[in-house]
Amino acid sequence: MALFGRTALQDTSLFGLSSQNPARYFRVQFSGSGSEYLRIWIVNLLLTVLTLGLYLPFAKARRLRYFYSNTLIDGQALSFHGKPWTMFRGYVLLMLLMGCYAVAGRFSPLAGGLAFLILGAIWPALWRASLQFRLANTSWRGLRLRFEGGLAGAYLAMAPSYVPVLLMVLAGSLWPEALQEGSKAEFGPGHVLVLLAFALGVLLLPLSLALIKRYQHGHYAMAAQRTRLLAGPREFYLLGFKLLGLLLLYIAAFVGLAAISFSLKSMVLFVLLALGFYLGLALLLAAFFSARLQNLVWNRTRSEELRFDSDLSARALAWLSLKNWLFTLLTLGLYRPFAAVNTARLRLEAMRLRVQGELDGWVAEQSLQQPDAAGEAAGDFFGIDMGL
Amino acid sequence: MPDMPAAPRPRLRLQYFDGRHASAQQAEIWREGRELLLQTGDGRQQRYALRQVQWPERQRHGQRQVLLPDGGVLSCAEAADWDDWARAAGLRESLAVHWAQSWRLTLTAGLLLMGLLILLWWQGLPLAARAITELVPAPLEAQLDERTLQSLDGLLLKPSALPAARRAAITQDFAGLVARARARGEPWPEYQLVFRQASDKLGPNALALPGGSLVLTDALAELLADQPDALAGVLAHELGHVRGRHGLRMTVQAGLASTLGALMLGDFSGVLASAPAVLSSQAYSRALEREADAAALHLLRADGRKPRAMLAFFDRIAQQRQARKAGEPSGWATAIASHPDDAERRRFFGGE
Repeated sequence: MALFGRTALQDTSLFGLSSQNPARYFRVQFSGSGSEYLRIWIVNLLLTVLTLGLYLPFAKARRLRYFYSNTLIDGQALSFHGKPWTMFRGYVLLMLLMGCYAVAGRFSPLAGGLAFLILGAIWPALWRASLQFRLANTSWRGLRLRFEGGLAGAYLAMAPSYVPVLLMVLAGSLWPEALQEGSKAEFGPGHVLVLLAFALGVLLLPLSLALIKRYQHGHYAMAAQRTRLLAGPREFYLLGFKLLGLLLLYIAAFVGLAAISFSLKSMVLFVLLALGFYLGLALLLAAFFSARLQNLVWNRTRSEELRFDSDLSARALAWLSLKNWLFTLLTLGLYRPFAAVNTARLRLEAMRLRVQGELDGWVAEQSLQQPDAAGEAAGDFFGIDMGL
Repeated sequence: MPDMPAAPRPRLRLQYFDGRHASAQQAEIWREGRELLLQTGDGRQQRYALRQVQWPERQRHGQRQVLLPDGGVLSCAEAADWDDWARAAGLRESLAVHWAQSWRLTLTAGLLLMGLLILLWWQGLPLAARAITELVPAPLEAQLDERTLQSLDGLLLKPSALPAARRAAITQDFAGLVARARARGEPWPEYQLVFRQASDKLGPNALALPGGSLVLTDALAELLADQPDALAGVLAHELGHVRGRHGLRMTVQAGLASTLGALMLGDFSGVLASAPAVLSSQAYSRALEREADAAALHLLRADGRKPRAMLAFFDRIAQQRQARKAGEPSGWATAIASHPDDAERRRFFGGE
């Protein structure tokens, strides 16, 4: 790409012009095109439907390769090395697992609860495997990335998310009537436990997020660089409070509007309002949150010679989400590849890398082992991905 | 791979990363038979079997990257140069890549996809739902039945307040009808007739649960107190649901439809993705209702009763509905309604 060449900016403010190791900034550029991805997407979908879903991992590998080869840092694209057949194995394993889970709950509460517990017990391990697989199969300038988080760390990071769920399961098994909607049972210890679990779930949300992000962003590695995340629960609670404030403001505004539409007795207006409420919630607040989260997390991720900057604008992301949603609805889904490309561009081009030191001197540490692809497939199934 | 012409082998200059060092090296590649040869700036040569190399897809955008089996990466910033070389070297591209190259073929793929989806929707899903339902053993279904009735008892249903004699009469009348049908050699499934008092939300109604429980609400029994044939018809309709295992089929079908929806729109918007599942399950449910109506018609007729008796049921339900909410527009209702509209069902049972 002629855009880059060797035009990396020299950072003179921090190290001075005469410094031996001036820091260099690399912008992330995304060169994907919606119309091109549309064609890949349609062919992928056709093959997936024709093969009754068996092509899915191959489609995913093609999609990732397209997005990776269009993500350029300092003029060099990322590469995705994942083998579709490996991913296929993981995908089949995961389908079996999910199938058992879905079926078990329908026939007996005991089997359902057991399946839930088993899935919950192996979920952090799957998550870690997914991160390992994705990172180990990503390279830049020929150097593989690595994920070095340990198994125990994955379980610890997810522990606070499990506390409310376990309380809920406990309440459900000891006082089943407490979880039944509309039951006329008296307010008892079961209800207290359910309320407690719910409150705890909300209160622990930022902490969980903080631990999860710290685990992820604290264990990325490439050559001798190992990242850490310089953010603790405090920053995540702050973000949570901001979001809560926005949410309250938003609800207050809509309650006002709903009151007006009620007094006008217009059903159409009311339906429109309800739709607007959902759209606003799903698009504006979600965009605010995910933009702020990307900035928070990446601005504080660094290694010895590497830093990241992210200045993603929440307003731009919200506007883009609204546009994407509307066009996707109007075109009955055909706009979706354009939406994916546009979102990737906005998110990626908000990023900068700062490398201090001599990039050409980076050498890989030898460890090219292949973790299983089941985790990767699991991450995709549940939408857990690296947020970049 | 087709064989190479004997002419001079085309070479391409590009950047090479050895997978160990971040620094780029200048390199040249060319093809020799079934091997790719790589010569780096310092004159060292390496050979790779063509089959083990991961080739880039031809695209308008993005960098051409060749992933070598030893972890090395070749990167070519000039896409056109790469494409020329690949063609000259006789590298074949996969069908999927070829199709994504041309708008004409993409359009064809799109139309094919649309056709397939429609076919899947109208034919594939019901067929698959039926096939999967056949695989579910009856004891499991009975368990499902029990659980459904239990949870309904907690929320919507109360013990029946109908006099025991009246319940016995209804049970006997319907049992006789089914027994005569079985005597004619028709395979009607086992069922249990259950009487319940329902909340207002359910009103005069009858339900068929997956394992063969037929729930009749007091309100409906009272509504049709003077029309035993209509009551038998309604129960026969529900028995039709049981025979077709419609409850389970609906569950399976909804699961399949939502999987398909998630495939198309899943990572985009959950609400949009679930819309097709809801719409399809309602349309599918209308088809099942017709099937159950056909069962009712057959049972009534074969038993020597008049199917027109069912008209009383439709009339009274309509009256009740009207009394409850006066004049609500319902033009868009069939699109998302679970039953076919009344006029159609009246015609089916011999009305005009």
